[in-house]
Amino acid sequence: MIEVRSLRKEYRVHKRAPGLAAALRSVFRRTYETIVAVDDVSFEVAAGERVGFLGPNGAGKTTTLKMLAGLLHPTSGEAHVDGHLPRKRERAFLEKIMLVMGQKQQLLWDLPPAETFELNRAIYDVPRAQYQETMAELDELLELGELVKKPTRQLSLGERMKCELAAALVHRPKVLFLDEPTIGLDVSMQASMRAFVKRYNERWNATILLTSHYMEDVLALCPRVVVIDKGQLSYDGTLEALVRRLRPEKRLILRLGAEVAEGDLARYGKVVEHEKLRVTLQIAHADVREVVPAMLAAFPVVDLTVEDPPLEEVMSELFARTRAAREKSEKAEKVGKTETSNDEKGDEA
Amino acid sequence: MIRYLRLFRIQLRASVLLAMQYRGDFVLDGVLEVLFVAPSIVPLVVVFDQRSSIFGWTFPEALVVVGFFHFLNALVEGAINPSLLAVVEHVRKGTLDFVLLKPADAQFLVSTARFQMWKATNVLSALLIWAFAFHRMGHWPRPLDVLVAVTMLGLSVTILYSLWIITVSTAFYVVRIDNLTYLFDSIFDAARWPSSVFRGVLRIVFTFVIPLGVMTTFPAEALLGRLSLQALGGAAVGAFLAALLARVVFQRALGRYTSAGG
Repeated sequence: MIEVRSLRKEYRVHKRAPGLAAALRSVFRRTYETIVAVDDVSFEVAAGERVGFLGPNGAGKTTTLKMLAGLLHPTSGEAHVDGHLPRKRERAFLEKIMLVMGQKQQLLWDLPPAETFELNRAIYDVPRAQYQETMAELDELLELGELVKKPTRQLSLGERMKCELAAALVHRPKVLFLDEPTIGLDVSMQASMRAFVKRYNERWNATILLTSHYMEDVLALCPRVVVIDKGQLSYDGTLEALVRRLRPEKRLILRLGAEVAEGDLARYGKVVEHEKLRVTLQIAHADVREVVPAMLAAFPVVDLTVEDPPLEEVMSELFARTRAAREKSEKAEKVGKTETSNDEKGDEA
Repeated sequence: MIRYLRLFRIQLRASVLLAMQYRGDFVLDGVLEVLFVAPSIVPLVVVFDQRSSIFGWTFPEALVVVGFFHFLNALVEGAINPSLLAVVEHVRKGTLDFVLLKPADAQFLVSTARFQMWKATNVLSALLIWAFAFHRMGHWPRPLDVLVAVTMLGLSVTILYSLWIITVSTAFYVVRIDNLTYLFDSIFDAARWPSSVFRGVLRIVFTFVIPLGVMTTFPAEALLGRLSLQALGGAAVGAFLAALLARVVFQRALGRYTSAGG
């Protein structure tokens, strides 16, 4: 459904030092810098797949989504979505996709959301019967009710986001790009959004590419993740494999009936956290079967759970490793260049 | 074509609903627009108080030009400026994304995004001025002249719209172009005078660069039954070229769109 080949996007940005003098100088003489937002990214997404597109701020996630949606033109490389070249913005292509952005809204601010839905129905040429069916479904899944009749400016952020999603789905897109759809929402609203996205995907076999800083979204929705950092692809595979590769250990979380010395706990594994009666221990995956009964026997354990390390930690570890590898290769490149130029000088001499 | 007519209707509907939402503005602005007709004629009355004709235009004939000025002004303020400001805002905030995501022509969507209905009362002012002018002349325009004048008005609107699209396109390069609307308004103000009153450089600028003369003087001449066929033909060619240029400039500007926030 989605094919991305060596995609690259460069921006030319005006650069100046802080201060009045630099600002004045920049009026007369501008210096520009080329920023590579997306650098040689390739991946594929099959129809009906739900893929998490992850990376730290400024990694190039949104830029990639916007190129896939046809909003930005790639500097080089190619992207195909269901056989279309997004940058051509063909009508057939635009009728199949939608980009939902948690930080931007398309709803008409002073009018009720129902008016935006109606406008979208006309723009997408949705037959009246299909429109009514879709709206009834969206109403049921998102519990829109009377919300659609109130002016948008009077809705809360969560209510607005529900209506944003409904407005985006009036034409039942086959491919849905979700850019931080749960940003700023409370926990229960986040959960209902996730449930909705999952049901939409299952009901219509829609392909979903999601970016989010909330790992809960990714855990609940995306069996597969594509990770980019500084514009480059650093991982593409299942979440489980990523966790296993980077953090093969398990976490034992214990609630104790009485305090225990840290030295005694450390005999069973690495103490990650020790706060009076609450202890988090890191142990090798293979040791779980032995360590758990031993600890239950040795300590006054009230409660015990076994978990994977938090996904946030796994991600930071991945980013740290990628950066270290990149710095190493850049350093090696620099050394190589210096040596070459020294050789050249030697030749000249 | 039918699809776009339907889209136009639905976009217009949203603007009407918005106008109804703020009906206080609707009434107040409507009354103000009609009241402003009187001061807009004062300079003309002062000038024609001294002499009976200026550069071949009598007072009632010059009033016909003022009528077209009011008519086009209704269009600028009611349909052109609101959408122009909306596009500038879209580019600045990055919400033009939603326009570009829609399976319809982007230029059409931004051009029909917002209308300010109460400005339509300015059309009423134009009708009042024309009625008064022809009453003073002692005869009414011939049906053929009305037809030519309406055609000429269509060409004027095309030129005005093209200039607007070119202005909007600069928003993709410099982002803040709000002040351009003020410049646009003050230059357009010169269109209340028959074009023959301008001499030298101003005449060249107002004929070829910002063809104000074509916009108000030509339709007035048509209504007065003295527009030459060459002038009509020239205006048609000019309007076509302006529309073509506007289309090319807008498409190129879209390619420059960088979106915002991400």
